[in-house]
Amino acid sequence: MSALRLISNRTSQQALSNSDYTWEYEYYEYGPVSFEGLKAHKYSIVIGFWVGLAVFVIFMFFVLTLLTKTGAPHQDNAEPSEKRFRMNSFVADFGRPLESEKVFSRQITEESRSLFHFCINEVEHLDKAKQSQKGSGLESNTHFQEVPRSSGMFEEDLSSLAKFNIPNFVNTEQNSSLGEDDLLISEPPIILENKSVVQSSHWILD
Amino acid sequence: ENISDFSLNITDCTQVVVPEEVFFTVAAAGILENLLVLIAVVRNKNLHLPMYFFICSLAISDMLGSLYKTLENIFIILCKMGYLTRRGDFEKKLDDAMDSMFILSLLGSIFSLLAIAADRYITIFYALRYHNIMTLRRALVILAVIWTFCAGSSIAIALFSYEAATVIPFTILFPLMMFFILCLYVHMFLLARSHAKKIASLPTSTVHQRTNMKGAITLTIFLGVFLCCWAPFVLHILLARFCPHNPYCACYMSIFHVNGTLIMCNAIIDPMIFAFRSPELRSTFKKMFCCAR
Repeated sequence: MSALRLISNRTSQQALSNSDYTWEYEYYEYGPVSFEGLKAHKYSIVIGFWVGLAVFVIFMFFVLTLLTKTGAPHQDNAEPSEKRFRMNSFVADFGRPLESEKVFSRQITEESRSLFHFCINEVEHLDKAKQSQKGSGLESNTHFQEVPRSSGMFEEDLSSLAKFNIPNFVNTEQNSSLGEDDLLISEPPIILENKSVVQSSHWILD
Repeated sequence: ENISDFSLNITDCTQVVVPEEVFFTVAAAGILENLLVLIAVVRNKNLHLPMYFFICSLAISDMLGSLYKTLENIFIILCKMGYLTRRGDFEKKLDDAMDSMFILSLLGSIFSLLAIAADRYITIFYALRYHNIMTLRRALVILAVIWTFCAGSSIAIALFSYEAATVIPFTILFPLMMFFILCLYVHMFLLARSHAKKIASLPTSTVHQRTNMKGAITLTIFLGVFLCCWAPFVLHILLARFCPHNPYCACYMSIFHVNGTLIMCNAIIDPMIFAFRSPELRSTFKKMFCCAR
């Protein structure tokens, strides 16, 4: 780079008066450097830099792995009411945005509904299974019953989530080509209604 | 330090030379691959989405990086063959232009990665309002702002590169952006984890204690590749600025061409980890090649 050349020219002008480097590959000059009396190995910066970079990347990997660790639930035999409460709170987390979006549900394009469709559908399935009363937040999912067709945006929603393997994209009985260990949860709690959605989720979990 | 008498010791750090064939092959592969991504996105109407526009922006900056290295190599070869003098005015201006292209490529890569991370962040945390927040027009405006800023700063940095002040913000920007991107992704991970815990606590789901490795691996690859490919060159610039005559620094700077080749490898790897993950893009490629036959 010429920037480097200008710097070295300025600082080592007198030394370059009789320097006659033949730069067969280079066109910038660094000036003469003496290699006498080095205490450490001459490539110590190179080695140190790469070792440091490798350590940092591995450290980052372990931190991220710890972050994505899904622990087992604390109680296996929790009270059903407690779990219902947990489910309600789960719905409530999404209930509020759903309420606000109810008005816009017709205007929101199919793709934007796709992401939370799974969450809503999943809880709805559990509703049917347990026949329990849910909060009004779930009633908004009637607006979202129409499963969106697969589209680029939908796939990107899924892909961006699937890269972290958010485990609500699950298998259906129709599509048996998904491997079991592709899924976080081996026994899927929900059934996807749209085949095109299933086909999209097929590539996500590979 | 006695720098007036120089001696080429046996312990000298000679320049590590990358063969020109390797250099040009890697550069050409990078340029072709990114060009394919651009063509695929332009041709397929389904891919006219903000997400793909940001991936295109990354592809453009990768192409510029490879192009810079190719032109620099051609420049060196022409100097070697004697067609160009080393100290002419025209050559200096050409060199400055090429330097600004390189800085543009680096800044463009960083900001494109940031845009992709922010887009994914909005997709996850504001999913229902995503289409109102990230409209196509807004995405194009964001890209225009990013590239104008990158072009302006690259020209400014190239022109004022003799000032010490320009190198420092440039090298601070690099880790700062990486850290910010990492924070965005970590937040997304935390949401995924809490979501997974909620699902695991539901009665009908089987109990699993598994580490979800795929997300961690993917993100480590994203950021690791970017760091490993760009950080050596950024360190080279820092060392060339602050300690050009230190023997340790000089030994690091002797692997300059390996660092340059790494940047071009980044241009080859980036489409694989961003663009080719999308099935729509892959099917577009298949159609393009099948129709060409």
